[in-house]
Amino acid sequence: MRNRIFPLLLGASALAFGQFGPQNSAQQNLAHKIDFPHDAPVTLAGDEWGGSAATVRGGAYAIDVRVALSLRNASQRRIRSITLTVLAQEATPGGKGSISVPSLDVPPGETFSVRGDLHLLRPIAAGVSPMVEVSLDGVLFDDLNFYGPDKLQSRRSMMVWELEARRDRQFFKALLEQGGREGLQKEMLASIARDADRPQFGVQMVRGRATNTAGERDLQFAFLQFPEAPVEPTSGMARIAGNEARGPKLVVHNRSPRVIRYLEMGWIVRDSQGREFLAASLPSEMRLPPSSSSQLLQDASLRFDPRTSVASMTGFVSSVEFADGSMWIPNRAELDDPVLRRVVAPSPEEQRLVQIYRKRGVAAVIDELKKF
Amino acid sequence: MTHPLQADLALYSTGDLPLWRRFVVRLHVAGCDGCRSWMAAFDSDRESIRRLAAEMPVGVNWDRLAAEMSANVRVGLEAGECVASRVHRPTLSMGWRVMAASAGVAVLLVSAWWLNMPRTDSIALGQAMRKLAQAGPWHLSGLDLEDRGPTVEVSASGIQLQQNGGTLGMSQGQERPVNVTLSVQGSARARYIDADSGQITITGVYAQ
Repeated sequence: MRNRIFPLLLGASALAFGQFGPQNSAQQNLAHKIDFPHDAPVTLAGDEWGGSAATVRGGAYAIDVRVALSLRNASQRRIRSITLTVLAQEATPGGKGSISVPSLDVPPGETFSVRGDLHLLRPIAAGVSPMVEVSLDGVLFDDLNFYGPDKLQSRRSMMVWELEARRDRQFFKALLEQGGREGLQKEMLASIARDADRPQFGVQMVRGRATNTAGERDLQFAFLQFPEAPVEPTSGMARIAGNEARGPKLVVHNRSPRVIRYLEMGWIVRDSQGREFLAASLPSEMRLPPSSSSQLLQDASLRFDPRTSVASMTGFVSSVEFADGSMWIPNRAELDDPVLRRVVAPSPEEQRLVQIYRKRGVAAVIDELKKF
Repeated sequence: MTHPLQADLALYSTGDLPLWRRFVVRLHVAGCDGCRSWMAAFDSDRESIRRLAAEMPVGVNWDRLAAEMSANVRVGLEAGECVASRVHRPTLSMGWRVMAASAGVAVLLVSAWWLNMPRTDSIALGQAMRKLAQAGPWHLSGLDLEDRGPTVEVSASGIQLQQNGGTLGMSQGQERPVNVTLSVQGSARARYIDADSGQITITGVYAQ
């Protein structure tokens, strides 16, 4: 018997170490492809992939994409923002990513850089080496025209960033005119202070529905009303169980004379300890005619830190897209609400200007504002 | 040099040794003149016995003789049982041997796991086992057992993809984002700022 067990153990050991051993340290070079349409308004001037690699993790490749692209504006218009798709695997959750650069001002013929550091997944398939493909999802120009397939709905995001940038530059220019350098400097310092105090809590977006519904309750939304918003949220609720909130339902009314096709709302959560944070955004595609109401349902659950017990929720309209493709965003006065100032991050443009102030001082910010 | 036992040599010469020991003895005999001569002697003895057996007197009824011998053996055994109880030599039962072999294989597999499996998989397994242990077999009905697939999580550190409680990866591992946002449609964005130029880069990950 002993003579039969020994070879059995030997075989099992070879199997076990043979199965698990080589996978552990299997880091592979990452194949890559950059694919821009021939009529794209940008062309590739150079690319650098140093540090990109694929590592076997269970049944998938964990892909680190570290890319720096040098792109040339091949169009006759100034580029305001760009979004690239980084694709490891279309159908895999976590297999798709994007890199966007807002607040650009690239004249025709000039080059600019786009850097990205992404972590994606790709299932392991026999005979297929890990690979990522970078393609163009969209480019937004200074006249708000858009080029690109827009598979990631990047036009909408880039439009919002550009409208926010114009709004905030106008605000800072007005501040400079009224309060001079000191007024602008004061606002820059206030923005830095708000940024430092802004809470950022961990939130998890969970697919599907919780099966443990013990102790679940309905909690009503409160709303921040923006007088100039084309949409007015009238009621809303979500199911709360412990540190989870799920199935938000909102009723909105279109008070504008135009058809609305997209609405995005912000969802602020306050816990029993009085901590407030922006939990998530609630985007909804719709067709909402003037003077009509619609109910928006989201089959999603948010899970917060285990110590978080949701006490109240607040919603606000963060952007609206009309049927003709034009958009609405809140103005600076509407965003001056104490809650929003505390929990909502400033626009990318404000953060860019504040960074210029940090690095080069108020004179550099003034020079930057004069460019637009 | 250590020579095999003569009993092993005798069994080897008749082809009765187990496979593993037969291989060892064959290796030894191939290089040992002394043991080869013992083997030759065993072969010769066996041949002599065969010859003697062939010369037995004519007319012996072997069937009858064998039946009588078997009957005598049985009588002897039963008589021995009447005089004293038989002493059983303690041996490991078949069940214990199988259990010992299984334990060995289990130790081997656990070692291989511990040495080689990705940490995230081990964490996910640990969390699942802890969840089961905490709930206990009598509370399984109240447990959240739905397979939720990969989830996306945002925190001050960036965007994380998770599955079964284990982290699959985090974007922009080198830098800390200035802002992260989550959409209930299953995507997350992290905003990074270049300290020198002020250029903003927004990376997005799509979990669905």
